[in-house]
Amino acid sequence: MKMESIAENSRLVKRAYWLIKLRWAAILFLVAGVFVCSNMLCITLKDFALYCIAAVLALYNMTVLLVLNHLTRGNSKAHCPAVKKIINVQISADLLILAVLLHFSGGIENPFAFYFIFHMIIASILLTVLESYLQATFAVLVFGLLVLLEYQQLIPHYCLKGFTPECLHRDGLYVLGTFFVFTTALYLAVYMASYIAVRLRRAEYGYREANILLRQKDRIKNEYVLRVTHDIKGHLAAIQSCLGVVVNKLTGPLNDRQEDLIGRAYARTVKLTGFVRELLRLTQMRLSNKLQMDDFSLSNTIRSSLAAVQGKAEEKCITLTSDIVSSADTIFGNQFAIEETITNLLLNAVKYTPENGSVDLSAKEDDDFVLIEIKDTGIGIPQEELPNIFDEFFRASNALKLERDGTGLGLSIARHIVERHGGQIDVESRLGEGTTFSLRLPRLGKVATANAAGNREQTNCTIKEKTCEEHKGRIQSRQKHSEANQLA
Amino acid sequence: MEKAKILIVDDDADLTEALKTTLESQRYAVVTASDRTEGMEKVRAEKPDLVILDVMMSTWQDGFEMARELKKEPASSDMPILILTAVKERTGIGFKSTAGDPSWLPVDGFLDKPVEPETLIDEVERLLSQKA
Repeated sequence: MKMESIAENSRLVKRAYWLIKLRWAAILFLVAGVFVCSNMLCITLKDFALYCIAAVLALYNMTVLLVLNHLTRGNSKAHCPAVKKIINVQISADLLILAVLLHFSGGIENPFAFYFIFHMIIASILLTVLESYLQATFAVLVFGLLVLLEYQQLIPHYCLKGFTPECLHRDGLYVLGTFFVFTTALYLAVYMASYIAVRLRRAEYGYREANILLRQKDRIKNEYVLRVTHDIKGHLAAIQSCLGVVVNKLTGPLNDRQEDLIGRAYARTVKLTGFVRELLRLTQMRLSNKLQMDDFSLSNTIRSSLAAVQGKAEEKCITLTSDIVSSADTIFGNQFAIEETITNLLLNAVKYTPENGSVDLSAKEDDDFVLIEIKDTGIGIPQEELPNIFDEFFRASNALKLERDGTGLGLSIARHIVERHGGQIDVESRLGEGTTFSLRLPRLGKVATANAAGNREQTNCTIKEKTCEEHKGRIQSRQKHSEANQLA
Repeated sequence: MEKAKILIVDDDADLTEALKTTLESQRYAVVTASDRTEGMEKVRAEKPDLVILDVMMSTWQDGFEMARELKKEPASSDMPILILTAVKERTGIGFKSTAGDPSWLPVDGFLDKPVEPETLIDEVERLLSQKA
């Protein structure tokens, strides 16, 4: 409910500012109109008085602006009545000023009298129905009084010579007729405008209610998922730990059959834990409103990501290279999340690249962004599946064939993280040739940009893996070593 | 030589059993406690050489608070603390980078749950050798 009133309040304030903007436009229109009518169309006008009114109007608008600024500067709570009052006073004042304006420009002879209708429409949009009718009545009374006084010659009448052939303010039928049309037009305008406005307001309110309800439901659902996943993870951790003890033969030797079955159970538990972890991560990403952001070094982050996947790349003899332009080093964001994203993309690249392939990472500046590209020579993604690749639980058909187990959540998490940073993630791929993921992440502010410009030369650091043969030799020797251990 | 004594404080009995078996297979003496109060009692009574702490027990930060308490007491201030937790995903905090910051997280090591027996043994050995 509190949120509601704050939203209502900010809407009112916005409308009040809108009114001020409209008035600036009206003042410009008035000055230009007087100038054109008086100097080009040669209509007799009380120029001086009209320009004065424009000046008064400008002064008055400035005052309203200041008052409104002052009101909204403090904590914008409970200003609703004050702002409403300001809007009401403004509309009444506008009506008065328009009446004075009409007085100095021909009174009932001036067709601009019908501009009162605009005030009625504005009132209907901003105020309640009753207030709108009251404003209409006020307008009719003010204009009626003006016309009556001029008719009775109690105040002077300034004829619009050059526009009407003669002065009409004493012509009873004309005055009565025009006033009748004027009055009915005003009330009809209020009736129609408030009819629409009330309906719109009601619909808007309904939408807002529904939206709040929906968001609440979504939150409850997310929290539920988070708690459940977390509990599941607790059980899994216990299962995996117990199985791990047995698999590692810490409780004594196992026969082949036992070792095989427990090994299978253990492997599945590890996979399930990974799945739950990703599900939990995704929910957490959605649930948390803010990621803590700081400046951090991209090259350090990339280095630890590379270190994390190096072993996996070596196992498949995949060449892993990185090329980071030094001016693209500082990034503003959550280091933990960015490292996670880059590591996941690298792991994916390694997973879906056949032996002896290559995975290349590059980072360079691109306007206010850093562009990170991870390019592999892997199996690629079918063209028609590219649009779905970031969807939750989606897995490309060829990836599914190659690797049955996989969560289909990794890329959704990556997209969530990148979009949270105000960045963008894209993919390009050719089936059988390879895939390139590109991340665009916002860079640090101006200082870093200036530094980077001053130090333009590129220091490229390239990490190249040991040759495949060398590596295979190492793996073999490690295997022998462990066999020897077992024998002992 | 007698191997070190290790205290495990975790409210998950099954997980504790697995950790205990792992460490006992390396001939460590293992004592267990299922909450913070019991943990503090065992620290005083058993004088372990190392404590393995779960973060989320009855409250989500029980482990952290116990770690701070241990570091405050002169008798246990130089005893290594290894935090074992599953909350990394929940908080998104990179524990590794903050481990060792005495004001916020006064622990010496951090491992993510579930932990491989080998990793656990390595980490315990590292912490004990650091102390020696």
